[in-house]
Amino acid sequence: MFRFFLAGRYTLVRPVSYLAMVSIGLSVMALIVVLSIMNGFLRETENVIRGSTADIVVFPIQRFGPTSRTKIEGIVSGTPGVESLTSRLIRPAIFKVHGRSNPRIWNSMEASRSQVLVQGIDVDAELAHSSLPESLNDVRDPEVRVDDQEDPFYIPAESVRDRRLRNAENPGILMGEDAMRVWGLRKGDAVDLATLPDGFELGRDVIQPSLMTFIVSGAFNSGHSNDDSIVYIDKSVAKVWAGTDHELSELYITAEPDSQPPELLKALRDQIQVRLLAGEEDCIVHTWEDRNRTWLAAVKNERRILLVILGFFLVLVCTITFSVLTMLVQEKVRDIGVLSAMGTSAGGIGSIFAMVGVTISLAGGIAGLLSGVWLANNINNVKDLIEEQFGVQIFDRNVYAFSEIPVELDMYANLLITVATVLGAAAICLIPAWRAARLDPVEALRYE
Amino acid sequence: MSDTPILAAQGLVRRYKMGGSALEVLAGASLELHAGERVAIMGRSGAGKSTFLHLLGLLDRPDGGKLQIRGQETTTLSRRDRSRLRNQEVGFVFQFYHLIPELSALDNALLPAMISHGPLQWLSVRKRRREQARALFEELGLTDRQRHRPSQLSGGERQRVAIARALCSQPGLMLCDEPTGNLDEHTSEAITDLLFEVTKRHAQTLVMVTHDIDLAARADRILVLHDGQLVETPGHSAAAPAKELIR
Repeated sequence: MFRFFLAGRYTLVRPVSYLAMVSIGLSVMALIVVLSIMNGFLRETENVIRGSTADIVVFPIQRFGPTSRTKIEGIVSGTPGVESLTSRLIRPAIFKVHGRSNPRIWNSMEASRSQVLVQGIDVDAELAHSSLPESLNDVRDPEVRVDDQEDPFYIPAESVRDRRLRNAENPGILMGEDAMRVWGLRKGDAVDLATLPDGFELGRDVIQPSLMTFIVSGAFNSGHSNDDSIVYIDKSVAKVWAGTDHELSELYITAEPDSQPPELLKALRDQIQVRLLAGEEDCIVHTWEDRNRTWLAAVKNERRILLVILGFFLVLVCTITFSVLTMLVQEKVRDIGVLSAMGTSAGGIGSIFAMVGVTISLAGGIAGLLSGVWLANNINNVKDLIEEQFGVQIFDRNVYAFSEIPVELDMYANLLITVATVLGAAAICLIPAWRAARLDPVEALRYE
Repeated sequence: MSDTPILAAQGLVRRYKMGGSALEVLAGASLELHAGERVAIMGRSGAGKSTFLHLLGLLDRPDGGKLQIRGQETTTLSRRDRSRLRNQEVGFVFQFYHLIPELSALDNALLPAMISHGPLQWLSVRKRRREQARALFEELGLTDRQRHRPSQLSGGERQRVAIARALCSQPGLMLCDEPTGNLDEHTSEAITDLLFEVTKRHAQTLVMVTHDIDLAARADRILVLHDGQLVETPGHSAAAPAKELIR
């Protein structure tokens, strides 16, 4: 009993004990907050990627001419676990606003703006199975939203701004919302797309680009960074514009809900690959994670690096706790002698100081866990307060695809951080406690 | 006095290594004490008085000789068993009080009792022990000092708390190392009176190391530590020969 009693008194009456508790608490809190924010970033990044990418994408390798869309679709749709699929015809193109002079391609910025990836889509299938409806809905500026979500390429003749094109029945095109702003485009404006036809041979033929004028029917916003370099047109129009016999560039697969977890999705990917090879169709098959491996790995890597760096704080915290307890033992040498004289065993003396270490570690750890969870849950309020009070910008929402700092609490990891810190700090306290237990009581009583 | 001595030390030897050579502080010191006896141990500085007291209190192990407390041989006991025996049978009073500064006066006095009980046991005896400690504080004139921290007490009060701590577990043997060495003459006299009075009342054996001839003269026996041996001064009027030996 006296051990708890004395350990409690030693802990409570010494300000340096509170300093050690605060150090442990701050470290645990920092780790929890950083981990929660990085988890939030990862989750939001995955959501953005998943929102704009199918579960699995099949890329036919069309080395020897067009592949059979119906054959590949047949093989894929017959695979258990596949819920639906849509196919796209994709072509790179030079982009130009109709009626304006050719874009000045003097630098990489101009070059990147005037090159787009044209995606020919099957509207009905995309509206039913892809994230296109959400991308159309998420457009911030109502002025550039499509008139008819069921037919996003529809643009009434009277809305076409160039009067000369009003009766020309040019097909519609969907552009990224930000790209429209950059180009100064509004709904009804005309744009030109030029691409190279199939089968040309550089150096021998005089290449005549395939050219077509489109009317902007509206914008989309998937939140993905490559929205600026993508445009959507109808697949049948794309085939005519590109002058190609190809019907399939990429096949977008939605997996059944049971097959959505990453591991099951990988299994489905492998199964599709095997079936395509058995059908003598040479294709590359990627899950959404495979396609964004680098980006996701970068976020995960950042999380890992930050945790390792903050892990050093834990070492520092253990050192502080060790120092505090070493100082306590040094200060209490006389008390150790007196306690021995009153009949406390060596183990009893050691356990008093070990209890002080455990109390400091435990109190600091619990305080850190609670404050870390609270701060993670209120990080946006705290951010707003700091931004308001100090006039500094902590989180620039224009940089990311989300409007506030994303947070995801992983209570298992948070508990693990707390337990590891408490155990680490408590374990290192056993060294000074052991030294206290080994002190010679006579020497301790004579200690000046 | 009963026939079984409460403490029997026979030929205690204690050596310390000083550089390359061994310094023999105690060279066969012997002592037998019966319940209720009050003994003063005197000697020159460095004669080994405190060393002898530490051996009697089981804080240190002798290099030779035997030491029995209530008939139990202690030199062969483990460190843990010696701690337990010390807690039950020995009470210490030090020159510099050695109170725990974080505890109140009452809690300081209760510490040996707390040490002797496990957590659950303590909960069942706590109330009774506190009552006993309060009664002891009243006896020692410390009633209104129970909640005070050692830093809030005078030297005399601190020593009285230290005496209360030594008495609280009702040990058979009270070992005092210069109990008045840090007090003024008036307080020293009061503490001496108190010490002799309460040990008599509680029928405890008192061993007191002191340089104070007047204090020693109040003991039943005066022993002088001389050349590593305990020499008993003849008769009860021992103060004069003792003076010779320590000079």
